[in-house]
Amino acid sequence: MARNRRQLAVAYVSAAVALATVAACSSSGGSKSKTSGTAGNSSSASTPAKNTKTGGTVYYLTKRPTEHWDPTRIYVGRDIADSSRLFYRTLVQYGTGAGADSNKLYPDLATDLGTASNGNKTWKFTLKSGIKWQDGSPITCADVAYGISRSFATDILTGGPNYSIQFLNIPAETKDTKNWTSAYHGPFNKVGQALYDKAVSCTGNTITFNLKKPVGDFNFATTLPAFAPYKQSQDQGAKSNYSIFSDGPYMLQGTWVKDKGATFVRNPNYDPKTDSPGIRNALPNQFVFVEGLATETIFDRLLANSGNDQFAVTDRAAPPAYLARVAAQKDRYTDVNSPFIDYVVPNFTKMTNPLVRQALYLSTDRAGYIAAEGGPSVASVANGLVLPALGAAGGYKQFKAYDAPDSGDPTKAAALLKQAGVKLPYPIHFTYSGGTPTSDKQASALAAGWEKAGFKVTLEGLTDTYYDIVQNPANAAKYDVTWGGWGADWPNASTVIPPLFDSRVNLSSTTNGQDYGLYKSDAVNAAIDKAYNTTDAAQRNAMWGDIDEMLAKDVAYVPLDNTKFPRLHGSKVTNYVESASTNGYPDLGQVGASS
Amino acid sequence: MSVPLSDLEADVASVNEVDEPKKGAIAGRSPTQLAMARLRHDKVSMVAFAVIVISILMAIASPILENMGILDPYTPHYDLVGGLGTLPNGPFGGIGWHHMLGVEPGIGRDVLSRVFLGVTFSLMISTAATIISVVFGMVFGIISGYAGGATDFWISRWMDLILAFPQLLMLLALSPVLKDRITSMGVPAGTATSAVYLIVVLGFFGWPYLARIVRGQVLTLRNREFVEAARSLGATRRRIWFRELLPNLWAPLLVYVSLTLPLFISAEAALSFLGVGLQAPTPSLGNILNDSVSYFDPDPTFFFVPGIVLVLIVLAFNMLGDGLRDALDPKSSR
Repeated sequence: MARNRRQLAVAYVSAAVALATVAACSSSGGSKSKTSGTAGNSSSASTPAKNTKTGGTVYYLTKRPTEHWDPTRIYVGRDIADSSRLFYRTLVQYGTGAGADSNKLYPDLATDLGTASNGNKTWKFTLKSGIKWQDGSPITCADVAYGISRSFATDILTGGPNYSIQFLNIPAETKDTKNWTSAYHGPFNKVGQALYDKAVSCTGNTITFNLKKPVGDFNFATTLPAFAPYKQSQDQGAKSNYSIFSDGPYMLQGTWVKDKGATFVRNPNYDPKTDSPGIRNALPNQFVFVEGLATETIFDRLLANSGNDQFAVTDRAAPPAYLARVAAQKDRYTDVNSPFIDYVVPNFTKMTNPLVRQALYLSTDRAGYIAAEGGPSVASVANGLVLPALGAAGGYKQFKAYDAPDSGDPTKAAALLKQAGVKLPYPIHFTYSGGTPTSDKQASALAAGWEKAGFKVTLEGLTDTYYDIVQNPANAAKYDVTWGGWGADWPNASTVIPPLFDSRVNLSSTTNGQDYGLYKSDAVNAAIDKAYNTTDAAQRNAMWGDIDEMLAKDVAYVPLDNTKFPRLHGSKVTNYVESASTNGYPDLGQVGASS
Repeated sequence: MSVPLSDLEADVASVNEVDEPKKGAIAGRSPTQLAMARLRHDKVSMVAFAVIVISILMAIASPILENMGILDPYTPHYDLVGGLGTLPNGPFGGIGWHHMLGVEPGIGRDVLSRVFLGVTFSLMISTAATIISVVFGMVFGIISGYAGGATDFWISRWMDLILAFPQLLMLLALSPVLKDRITSMGVPAGTATSAVYLIVVLGFFGWPYLARIVRGQVLTLRNREFVEAARSLGATRRRIWFRELLPNLWAPLLVYVSLTLPLFISAEAALSFLGVGLQAPTPSLGNILNDSVSYFDPDPTFFFVPGIVLVLIVLAFNMLGDGLRDALDPKSSR
C-alpha cells in the first residue's frame, strides 16, 4: 500500500544496489561480525567529510501532518523512515543509506538477519540482551510478538501494512465479516489467539515465525514499524495513535500535536552499543518537528537560510517555480530519485475494448506530464511499474509495451480508435489527486495528448482526500481513467505487482483495494501464484518482470514517470544524506547540527 | 422661521448656472436624472465604468473568439518552455507576436487567452451569484421589514444564523459532499459542477447582507405617507411591495450590486486558491492567480499579468460603487 500522493509520497522502495534478496538475507548468522564497523562510516565518495560533533537541534519542516505514530499503523514512506531512525527499532534495519549500504540489511534488535528453514517457511530471530524501553524496562520476545499481533486488529488499528496477515500461518476468516480477513482478530478481543500463538512463538529470547508460504525475503518485511515491539501495558488501542513509547535514541517530549508537531529529546535508556554502528548516529540533542507549513513557505525559509532555518531539513520536494532558485544553492541542493512510479489505470469494467486501451497508452503524453512537473531534471519516463533501480534481482525487466515516443503517438492512437469502431470522440472521465496548480497542469497535459487521438476528456481533480474515494466501488462506475502512484515496500517487485493487480487480495464488496481499475485477470493471478511458489530467487524475480510486461501489454496500467525529490537543507546541517534506505527522505540517523 | 423667498431663488439660480446653460425652459428633473448627472461629473466613476464595460465586452467576446480559434487557452506549447522548472523561453515570460502576454510556465499555454477566458468565467460566476443573492435578499428583506412580528423575527434570526457561520470553513468542508449532490442532480461533472457549486454557495451566503439593508429601508418606508395612502386606498399587498416600496429600494440595491460583484470575484479567486474553484483545465482568474503567485521570482510577467487584471476589475467595480453611492445619496458627502 505504498502510495504516492503528489510530492508527499508514501511507502518504501529502493534504489541502487538491490542485492539478491533471498540469497543475502536468508543466509544468517555469519554476517554479524562483518556488519559492525562498516555500516555507518562507509560513506561513499559522494558524501562530504563526516562531522561527528554532537549537540544542537535539527528542525524538520513539513506540510502534511503525520496520520499515525502508532507503529502498527505507520505506512507512509516518510514516517517509516523517520520513526525507525529516531524511536522505533525493529528486528533488522536498513544501513546508513550512503552508497552500497543503502537497502542493505543490518541486525537491529536481533543478533543477526534471521535464519530461514523449512524451505523459507520458518524464520527465527534472536533478540540482543540489554535493550530497554524508554522507561528502563527490558524489551522481551513477548513485546515483539505482541507488537506484530496488533496488525490483526484491523477493526481498530487501520492504515497499516498487512504483510503479517498475508504471510503468517493463520487461516483466513471464513465468516463474512467486514473488519477482519484473518481468523485471528487481534490482541484486543483475542478471537483466534491460539492460532496466532502457534504461528508466532517465543522460546527464551528467540522468536519463531511460521509462514503459510515460502517468503525468501521475510526479514525485509520486519524492517517495517508494524513489526516493531510494543509494550502491552502502554497499549490503549486507537487512543495510542499519537503516543510514542520509544526504544530508539530519541523520545517524545510532552505530547504530539497534530498539525503542529513536537520535540524529541534524547532517550536516556538507549544504549548505542546495542545498535549496529552507524545506523543511528543520533548527533543532535533534539529534533523539532514542525507540521502544517505551506511548501512555498518552507522553501522561502530554506532559501533565506537564517536563524534556526539554518538547521532545518524538509521532506517536501521543491515546486516547479522554486526549482531554478533551489538548484542554484549548489552545496545545499539535493535531487535523489524517489521510490515512486506515477501511472494511470483504465477502468476495466468500462474500457473493455483492448484497442481503445492501446490507443490510450499510445496517446499518453509522458513528456508533457514531466514538463508540467518541472522538466526532465525532476522526473524520468517510466516504462514499467517496477523501478529500474531495483535491477533484475529486484524483479525489474526492461521492456516497452507499445512503441511510441515519450510524447505519445496520437496518429497511431487515432488509427486504433478508428479500428476499434467506437463512437468518436470517445469520452473519458479522468480523476487524479489535484488541488495544486502543478497537478492540474499535469492532468491537463495528459488530457491534451489524449484529445489529440480522439478522446474527449473530463478532468476531475480530487482535492480533499484521494485514495479512499477511488477505492470506493461506488465511485468506480464514474471514472474511466484513474491516477495512481506506488513505491515498493522493499526492494522487490513482489511488493508492487500482487498488491496492485492481484484481484483476489484487492477486490471486495466494500473496497477496490489498490486495484483502482478493477483489473481482474485469471492469467495474471495464476502467474502471481506461480511466482510465489518458485523457490529459485533468480527465476522468481524474472517471473515478476514478465508479469509486469504482461500487465502493460494488456494496458492494465499506463506508466508515466519516476519522480525525483529536489530539495534544500539548511547550511548548518551536517552529514546530510537521502537514500533508498530512508525512502529518499532525509536520513535522520545521520544528520547533525554544527553550531 | 421660514426661509426668505429671495434666498431660495438665489439657490435655484446658482444651480442653474452650473448645470444648465439653456435659458428659459426650466424642466423638472427626476431624482434618477439628478443622480445620473452627478455621476457623469464624477471622473473617477466614469473611468471605472469604462473599465467595466471593456471587461464585460471582453468576457462576452472571449468564448466567441475561442470558437473561432483566435484564442486558444488549452493547447500546450512545449517548444516555448524549457529548462529547470520548465519556464518560458525568451525574456518577459515569452512575450511575442503570437503570445502577447507570454506563455504559462509548465506546459506553455497562452496567457492572454487564459486570462480572457478566465475573466469570462469569473464574471459569469460572480454575476450569477449576485443575482441569486439579490433575489433572495430583496424578497426576504421586504417580507421581513413589511410583515414585522413573528415573520420578521424568524427571518432575521435565520439571517443571523447564516451570517454567524464560518463561511470559508463551511465552503471547504461542504465542497466534496455538495459537489457530489450537484453532479447526481444531472449537472455534468467537472467544470459545470464546480461552477454551480460556487454560484450556489456564494449566493446563499451573500443574500443576508442585502436583506438586512432592505429590511431597514422597508421599516422606515412602510410608515411613510405614500404607503399609508396606498394602504388606505385599498391597494393589495403585492402592489404595495412592488409599486410603492421597490422603486424606493433601487438606490441601495445598485450600490449593493456594484460592491458585491467584485467581492464575489475576489471570493471566487480565494476559493480557487484553496482548491475548491473551477476544475482544470478551465481557466478562472482564481486558478490562474493561484498558479502565478509562486512565480514571483522566476517569471515576473506571469506573476503580474493575472494579478493586474483582477485588481483592475475589482477596483473598477468598487470605484463605481462608491461613485453610485455618492450620486444616489448626496447627503453622505465626502
